[in-house]
Amino acid sequence: MPIIDQQTLVRSVDILATGILVTAFLIISSKSLTFYVRLFAFQSILLGMLSLVIAVRYGETHILTAAVLTFVVKAFTIPLLLNKVIDRIRVRKEVDFSINITVSLIICGAIVILSNSVAQPILQVQRAGSLFTTKVLPISIAVMLIGLFVMISRKKAVTQIIGLLTMENGLFLSGLSITHGMPLIVEVGIFFDILVAALILGLFVFRINKSFETIDIAAMRSLRH
Amino acid sequence: MSIVLFSLLLGIPFVSAIVCALSPGRRVLESVTATGTGLTFLSALVLAHEVLKHTFLSSPNAFFYADALSALLAAIVTGSAFATALYSFGYLNAHVAAGTISAGQLRLYYALLNVFLFTMVLVLLSNNLGFLWIGTEATTLATAFLVAFYDTKRSLEAAWKYVIICSVGIALALFGVILTYFSSVTIAGSSSPSLLWTTLMIVAKKLDPAILRLAYVFILIGFGTKAGLAPMHTWKPDAYGEAPAPISGLMAGGLVNVALYSLMRFTVLVNKAVGHEFTSTLLIIFGLGSIIIAVPFILLQQNIKRLLAYSSVEHVGIIAFAIGLATPLAYLGALLHMLNNAIVKLLLFFSAGNLRLAYHSKIMRRIEGAVHVVPFTATVFLIGVFAVTGWPPFGLFVSELTIVTAGFTAGHFLPTIVFLVSVATVFVGFIYYASKMAFGSSEGRERQIDSTPMTRILLAALALLLLCFGLLIPAPLMTLLRNAATVMAG
Repeated sequence: MPIIDQQTLVRSVDILATGILVTAFLIISSKSLTFYVRLFAFQSILLGMLSLVIAVRYGETHILTAAVLTFVVKAFTIPLLLNKVIDRIRVRKEVDFSINITVSLIICGAIVILSNSVAQPILQVQRAGSLFTTKVLPISIAVMLIGLFVMISRKKAVTQIIGLLTMENGLFLSGLSITHGMPLIVEVGIFFDILVAALILGLFVFRINKSFETIDIAAMRSLRH
Repeated sequence: MSIVLFSLLLGIPFVSAIVCALSPGRRVLESVTATGTGLTFLSALVLAHEVLKHTFLSSPNAFFYADALSALLAAIVTGSAFATALYSFGYLNAHVAAGTISAGQLRLYYALLNVFLFTMVLVLLSNNLGFLWIGTEATTLATAFLVAFYDTKRSLEAAWKYVIICSVGIALALFGVILTYFSSVTIAGSSSPSLLWTTLMIVAKKLDPAILRLAYVFILIGFGTKAGLAPMHTWKPDAYGEAPAPISGLMAGGLVNVALYSLMRFTVLVNKAVGHEFTSTLLIIFGLGSIIIAVPFILLQQNIKRLLAYSSVEHVGIIAFAIGLATPLAYLGALLHMLNNAIVKLLLFFSAGNLRLAYHSKIMRRIEGAVHVVPFTATVFLIGVFAVTGWPPFGLFVSELTIVTAGFTAGHFLPTIVFLVSVATVFVGFIYYASKMAFGSSEGRERQIDSTPMTRILLAALALLLLCFGLLIPAPLMTLLRNAATVMAG
């Protein structure tokens, strides 16, 4: 007898996945860099909890490991690192937009609808037994695309990092929903890559700030043709 | 035997990287890097030899795997890394002598060069498609600080764009990998889904075709970004333009082929599962698009390294186009072109590096009369220009001719004609700039010491290889190429 029955699983997974989508929307409507980082950390905690629920329900140790890694790497280490970066660079901590919040929210609403239709062909071949996928897969694709949208529409270097990491969260969620996660060793490798990427990008923010005296990427426009 | 070879190929660059990171002096850095890359190249040649004898090598847990395709690419990539190491010594020492780089920067450079090689070899030897992805992302991370090496505004901007664009691209590729994995989960009665390429190939016919097609779109965009296929190529001129010349060379000669290799593995899998029409159409469109988009940028270029970067976009397009033709002859042409393109890109970027050292500029109109100022470099540069634009008797003539023949025999007349016209236009642009740089007025300029003897020997060897592959391909290499083409045919 599993600790969590199927119904509880589906319900809690749905709630957590919806929470992840909501944080993505909050990131879109946020104006402060520190808040971006906090929202990302919160999103990662929700993602970790979601993996934990699935790991306990199916007794899969590799998902458990992934859940622990999500907490340690994405919910703790990376936000800590990004906060350090934000503290050390003395710039305005507001986010600059190339698309304002209202329009951004409308676009992201459209992204959710689009994601739902993109997910349908994948869901049609879904094997019976992983029922929770129906709602989680469209959400995961939406989170990926919203992450991409953050990267395109927000001009600070730190916001681009958050966008990329949100994309990764969406990817992780999609993997979790349709395949119950990748093999453990692959998962560990992916986490390692993400951590190193965040480190390197964080260091770049320092150096960009030093050379350009801003982390507004719109200032970087010397390379053309 | 397989275990020993895999350990050597992965272990040598890894250990060299650690030693370099800890090493104090320039001499140690140089000798460790030269020995390390040299031995890795040697191991790759032994691997190729073994693969010719046994068809494929596999580690007991099937995690690492090498067939003719991986062995060929491993030889190209490790060879390029060896050449890059040898060129780096002279190039960086000129900087050290001028006092523009510090001891710490030098250490970072050599350590990361070895890490870079390690990540590329990891991609080539992984049988696990997840690790193929991890290795590819790691190549971006390993090269990030190499692109930003000069620590100027421009190089930071280039490195930032490079890491961000490639990371997004490769994130999309991860979705493709997840979908591929999913397509094996859906197989009825399959007890354990797999990410191993060899296992997936066995069950290819049973994988869900709709999912695989969708996966391939993401894979093509992802690894296409890394390879620099248009329209995902925008980071390339920036990164190649701002990175130190040897690094640009290794990215254009090695990394591009590694990204294409990943794309090829997935293409073989999808072709086997759903037939080649789907991948062919996409590859021909993206390939031809890259060739065409490069033309105006080559014709109106001011910066020599950006010119070479657009030439890289063009040649990646040629290779993708050839893979898209999907006949055995086209595969052979594609593989041969990967080899030739690697050599010519090393030759061109290295000689561009020499020109930069002599003229302190990458802007082509400031580089004039090179035949008088640096005669040796000017000569090999001109050889490189004729080779890269597909003139006989150099290797790229043979590979492009093979691809054109394959295009016409496969009945793709219009695309092949567009391909030919573009290549001819590129030739005009290249010759115009090269002749001005080589033969323009050298008034007011003294003849300079033309690089170190080792650099000259290296450049001459690269030029000779191009000539050699244009006249006669050695029998063992030909067998390896044919076997690799067979792997690609499924």
